[in-house]
Amino acid sequence: MDVAVEAEALVKHYRSRAGVVKAVRGVDLQVRSGEIFGFLGPNGAGKSTMIRMLTTLLSITSGTARVAGVDVAREPDAARRAMGVALQEAGLDPRQTGRETLILQARLFGMSAHDAAARTEELLELVELEEAADRRVKGYSGGMKRRLDLATALVHQPEVLFLDEPTTGLDPASRLTVWDEVRRINQLGTTVFLTTQYLEEADALCERLAIIDDGQIVRDGTPAALKAELRERQGLTTDPSLDDVFLDATGRTRSRAAGDVQEVTA
Amino acid sequence: MTAWVLGQRALREAWRTPEALVPTLFIPLFFLVVNVGQAGKIFPATSTAFLHGQGYAAFQLPVSLLLAASFGTAALFLVEDIEGGYFDKLRSAPIPRTSIVLGRLIAEGAKGLLISVAIVLLGMVFGITIASGVLGFVLLVLMTALWSVVFVGFMQLIALKTRSAAATNSGGLVFFPLLFLTPNFVPRELLTRPMEVAASINPVTYVMEGLRSLILEDLEWSAILPAFAVVGVTGALMLVLNVRLINRYD
Repeated sequence: MDVAVEAEALVKHYRSRAGVVKAVRGVDLQVRSGEIFGFLGPNGAGKSTMIRMLTTLLSITSGTARVAGVDVAREPDAARRAMGVALQEAGLDPRQTGRETLILQARLFGMSAHDAAARTEELLELVELEEAADRRVKGYSGGMKRRLDLATALVHQPEVLFLDEPTTGLDPASRLTVWDEVRRINQLGTTVFLTTQYLEEADALCERLAIIDDGQIVRDGTPAALKAELRERQGLTTDPSLDDVFLDATGRTRSRAAGDVQEVTA
Repeated sequence: MTAWVLGQRALREAWRTPEALVPTLFIPLFFLVVNVGQAGKIFPATSTAFLHGQGYAAFQLPVSLLLAASFGTAALFLVEDIEGGYFDKLRSAPIPRTSIVLGRLIAEGAKGLLISVAIVLLGMVFGITIASGVLGFVLLVLMTALWSVVFVGFMQLIALKTRSAAATNSGGLVFFPLLFLTPNFVPRELLTRPMEVAASINPVTYVMEGLRSLILEDLEWSAILPAFAVVGVTGALMLVLNVRLINRYD
């Protein structure tokens, strides 16, 4: 089995005014090459911290992380060449056009001006932004920004694509478009590691998933296996949903989860 | 190479935000007019030795140039990058961290050149002459542009450390006391003793005196070289601190 992403005893501690915060507490994880892997968890569970460590954006307190076989702490630039990253906020410069954004990103990955322009055309077609290519990003809709962000993560044809909550704040139609893009990218051979708060998204897209709570992995497996395990353990007569698996894994109840304050990103 | 690519992006950003550029030009010219209007009659060109035969506006021009070079808007764009997530996009690319800092500094240098050329040319239209000639003109705008790089380097330190537009903006105000603890209205030897001491330990004084000598006198290297030395040393310090901070950015 080829492993695209691997974490061993991964730990992240922050120092804050209140003391040491243990954001990630010894995570072991393996993502197979070619799969779409979902990483779920409640707000503040450690999802974003994990993805930021795996993508070299955050230092690792202890443990190791490898992407495409490269140790992200020891060889960060080699790891960066193997991965594409689209984080929670679509990381785009509103004053550049879509085309300029992609050309710049390609140049940062070492392409010549000619190759960068050619790759930009391919990506604009892939994410269906040809007509908006010469408009400034600040005029794009949320869905268009997300698709452009996806395209910037793909300029160098990465082996692994990290997506941190790729559909947060999108309307249902834009969400479905992003799902289609993710599937299409995956079919082209890219491993996808995505975090999401939407369980139906994980159910629809992911072959395997892990649930993190309080900095530790509390469940992992295929959606079907996780549901079957819960059904058997609780002696249920009908198949549980992924929501039920999530609530069970994080020790929450429907009434408590409904009472939680949810952050909404516009 | 990546620094230049990022510098081009920062220049496009500046070009597309004229509302941020206009004050950089307008406010220094406003201060030039006001300062000359207030003190011009006290120092007539014919009887004031330190003016070397020029009007008081020539003496005040360096103050306006330093003011123009001390807006540091690029640092506010950096905060926008950080808040909007584009900074992380850059950090996730396999490029030297230094190029992320250098790109903005290169762009600030180019912007500083353009703005200082515009201010000096406007001054010349209103009768100021550059006594040190064409080479002096080049050194004048180069020194101003390099000072703008130093200043934006300082502002970027605050931006990287605080990641806050409000804190970065406030940080820029630090320059105002430094600008006024200089011989900005009269030469250093005419200041009161405590003011002279304060001006002498203020590095901005030497940059101002260097700029002033280029406008009022022929190439006076004893004033020009210390000015470039201050710009060089503080510039190197800002670069080192910026790189250190960005390498440790978590």
